[in-house]
Amino acid sequence: MDIHRCISCGANLVGTNYVAFPCPTCGEMLYRCKRCRKLANEYRCENCGFIGP
Amino acid sequence: MIEEEGKVQQEEVYEYLISPDEYLAAGVHIGTQVKTGDMRKFIYKVRPDGLYVLDIRQLDERIRIVGKLLARYEPSKILVVAARQYGQKPAKMFAKIVGAEYIVGRLVPGTLTNPMIREYREPEIIIVTDPAIDGQAVQEATDVGIPVIALCDSNNSAANVDFIIPTNNKGRKALAIVYWLLAREVLRNRGISEFPYTVEDFEAEL
Repeated sequence: MDIHRCISCGANLVGTNYVAFPCPTCGEMLYRCKRCRKLANEYRCENCGFIGP
Repeated sequence: MIEEEGKVQQEEVYEYLISPDEYLAAGVHIGTQVKTGDMRKFIYKVRPDGLYVLDIRQLDERIRIVGKLLARYEPSKILVVAARQYGQKPAKMFAKIVGAEYIVGRLVPGTLTNPMIREYREPEIIIVTDPAIDGQAVQEATDVGIPVIALCDSNNSAANVDFIIPTNNKGRKALAIVYWLLAREVLRNRGISEFPYTVEDFEAEL
């Protein structure tokens, strides 16, 4: 099983405590942990440099 | 003052989806008198009366990006939520045009989390008109791990939101123009250039 990492904090993601979606600009899959989503932490796509949310 | 001769200032010419005047006429840039930290980077200036003005260029860029993002999803897996009165018609029209599902008015608790109820749906992405008013939808989407796109005003928090569209989410015309542009962009990104709708078709009645 692939273990993903949160794109903002690097935490290992297990179970359903995260969200996965394609990068809005390049389509690369991005993973965000529940904590970073709640705190609205910034994320940056490693492929294209897109900064969200 | 030192004059730099021979240096030609190259100003980047940005092409808007519609003219900036149309954006301003619809009032998409009008924020509120409250600013949150999450929305700071989208604020252009503060008016003397204390209203925060949103940056229409960032709005325009983000509408393009959302168009691309939504085009990657199957239409029936997109859910549009609008509890706000003026957002209901634009949300319905957007959903009908792109083939998405919509929930306007009250969202029954459990819609995204409880398979035992009649209203249960399983979208892959949701768009909310106001993350504060549509808080139930945002919370349920967070619980089941669905990405959230939100139209955020200067007073909104970006908690549990994965993509912000910075706009006035209270105005009748502002909501109509934003949803109209979103619908047009989604269809464009799907390769459909025909778009026979006008902004007036999206405007809620007074």
